[in-house]
Amino acid sequence: MNDKAAQIFAETYDRERAVLPGAGGWLARRRDAALKSFVEAGLPHRRLEEWKYTDLKQALEKAAFVPAPAHEGAVVLPDTAVASAFAAIDRHVVVFVNGRHRPDLSKAVRLPKGVELHSLNDVLHEQWVKELVERRFDDARQSENVVDLNTALMHDGAALRIRKGVRLDKPLHLLFLAADGGASHTRNLILLEEDADATIFESHIGGAAAFADIVTDVALGDEARLSHVKLQDEGAGAVHLATLRTRLAAKSRLSSFTLTLGCGISRTQNFVLFAGEGAQAHVNGAYALKAAQHADQFCVIDHAVPGCTSHTLFKGVLDGASEGIFQGKVIVRPHAQKTDGRQMTHALLLSRDAAMNAKPELEIYADDVQCAHGSTVGELSREAIFFLRSRGIPEMEARQLLVSAFLDEALDLVPHEAAREALKLLAAGWFADGEGRA
Amino acid sequence: MNMLEIKNLHVSVDGKEILKGIDLDIRAGEVHAIMGPNGSGKSTLSYVLSGREGYEVTEGSIRFKGRDLTELNVDERAAAGIFLAFQYPIEIPGVTTMTFLKTALNAQRKARGEAELDAVRFLKLVREKAKPLNVPDEMLKRALNVGFSGGEKKRAEILQMALLEPALAVLDETDSGLDIDALKTVAAGVNALRNPERAMLVITHYQRLLDYIVPDAVHVLSGGRIVKTGGRELAHELEKTGYAAYDADAA
Repeated sequence: MNDKAAQIFAETYDRERAVLPGAGGWLARRRDAALKSFVEAGLPHRRLEEWKYTDLKQALEKAAFVPAPAHEGAVVLPDTAVASAFAAIDRHVVVFVNGRHRPDLSKAVRLPKGVELHSLNDVLHEQWVKELVERRFDDARQSENVVDLNTALMHDGAALRIRKGVRLDKPLHLLFLAADGGASHTRNLILLEEDADATIFESHIGGAAAFADIVTDVALGDEARLSHVKLQDEGAGAVHLATLRTRLAAKSRLSSFTLTLGCGISRTQNFVLFAGEGAQAHVNGAYALKAAQHADQFCVIDHAVPGCTSHTLFKGVLDGASEGIFQGKVIVRPHAQKTDGRQMTHALLLSRDAAMNAKPELEIYADDVQCAHGSTVGELSREAIFFLRSRGIPEMEARQLLVSAFLDEALDLVPHEAAREALKLLAAGWFADGEGRA
Repeated sequence: MNMLEIKNLHVSVDGKEILKGIDLDIRAGEVHAIMGPNGSGKSTLSYVLSGREGYEVTEGSIRFKGRDLTELNVDERAAAGIFLAFQYPIEIPGVTTMTFLKTALNAQRKARGEAELDAVRFLKLVREKAKPLNVPDEMLKRALNVGFSGGEKKRAEILQMALLEPALAVLDETDSGLDIDALKTVAAGVNALRNPERAMLVITHYQRLLDYIVPDAVHVLSGGRIVKTGGRELAHELEKTGYAAYDADAA
């Protein structure tokens, strides 16, 4: 095997197998199988179509991440706008440092009856946990393979189960801080039973040269509703690999929004599987990149049943020598009539050295559907800048106004009002900081 | 004192000389019209006054309130009191007219060392200025110029001028794309802004606009030079004879 990075993970697994959570039970067997298939497939690289623009193998080989240490001591959250983005919102907070749950830093009290929130390792014996972890989404095998790595090495995460008809009283904020370098493997599980309702914020912060590998598995029961807002802003030496997999039962709703402020290399994967009729998924995002950041947004939406709606809009601004990627696929199965599927991606290049790759795809096997996709890449209009300046608005302010206006079309889709305002402020601040200047 | 003093102005665009020695003085309180055939350099004159990139002054000078205008960039000129009403106002998707107006006014106030207006005072001011121009609140909430009719765009331009209160307003073909009713509304808006401290330069191809915005002086621009200057009656004369007599190639 000439896959050095995969080798390191395999060695880590051999060393830690006996002490990883769930040793001796169903999970240990699942981990063995996952590691085996991960090693067989190896880390993804550019010769695989789904990884055409992101060479994870090369990035991880170069960085050669060892496992991140358990950070036991005191932790001070960074004093940044991103770290405190949701601070003004009344919410439950669960903090993970280097991928490990820190109850001492968390604050999730007096949860409503019917809401069960645990550290993943405390509920491994539960059947729903087993079912979610063992679930496979076979639409994009090349992208799914990295989930095997997570399954083999996952050591912590949040497990949230909300019983039938129960509404989570306030947003649950999962805050992940990379305090030290090294690899962490986190698995979050979210089960909303029939007619349950929740809003979840996820933020990933920290300047360390870390490899954050996060898989979040979601199952929505009939008529359940999940709003999910993810914010990511990590260090130049960091690699971020996040996968959100959602299975939607009949008439359930997913509203997901990702704001990526980037890190060295990030890949955000979103898998949506419609398993019951009349469900809706809104999978949207925005990204603002600078310097040598590389961010790959990958989405696969599988209309496996009739009568479901999926809308996707990703907008990004790219400065410096950054590289943005959007790859999206909407699959409409032969019997999935009355599907409404839309997928749009727009990018704005702020510098001559920035690059954007977009690959929206439709695979339609049904005939009575409404589907559309589109992609544009452009730059700020010089005419618009001149017009604004001719009214006395200085050039930088004019550029900021146009960049914010561009991103706002996507940010307006953030499903929680206060979070929407928070993310808009961050996006505006990204430019004002001077980070967004060419 | 002259508000604007242009002496022997030569301007090139992409290395090609468009203006070939313009002399023009405008005093505070005066309205001057520039008329001329297509390609005579009318728009170039408006852009060089606004400071647009790519319009290179190769010879001569432009002084505004005694100051060398070429030392100022586009937004500095605006803050100093120069306003260009565009022939084709630019659409700005995602920026509401209200946000744009507030940003522009406060940017100019800030540049002049004045206090910025808060939201309440701004709203009061903008409504006061918008009413006579028949610009409803609904229009202020829409993205600037996006989906505006020709008349709405020009009314929005005049609203910007009313709000920003420039010392020198340059109106570039403000009549283009307007029907007669829209033209009257726009002209009334412009006339309401005439005062002894403000100068205006009205650039137009047709005499029609000058029936409503009556100038103190009319200049004929042809081939990059002012070839004739006269009173308001010159506009009527041009309407009858056309520009043939001033054709640069024929001359």
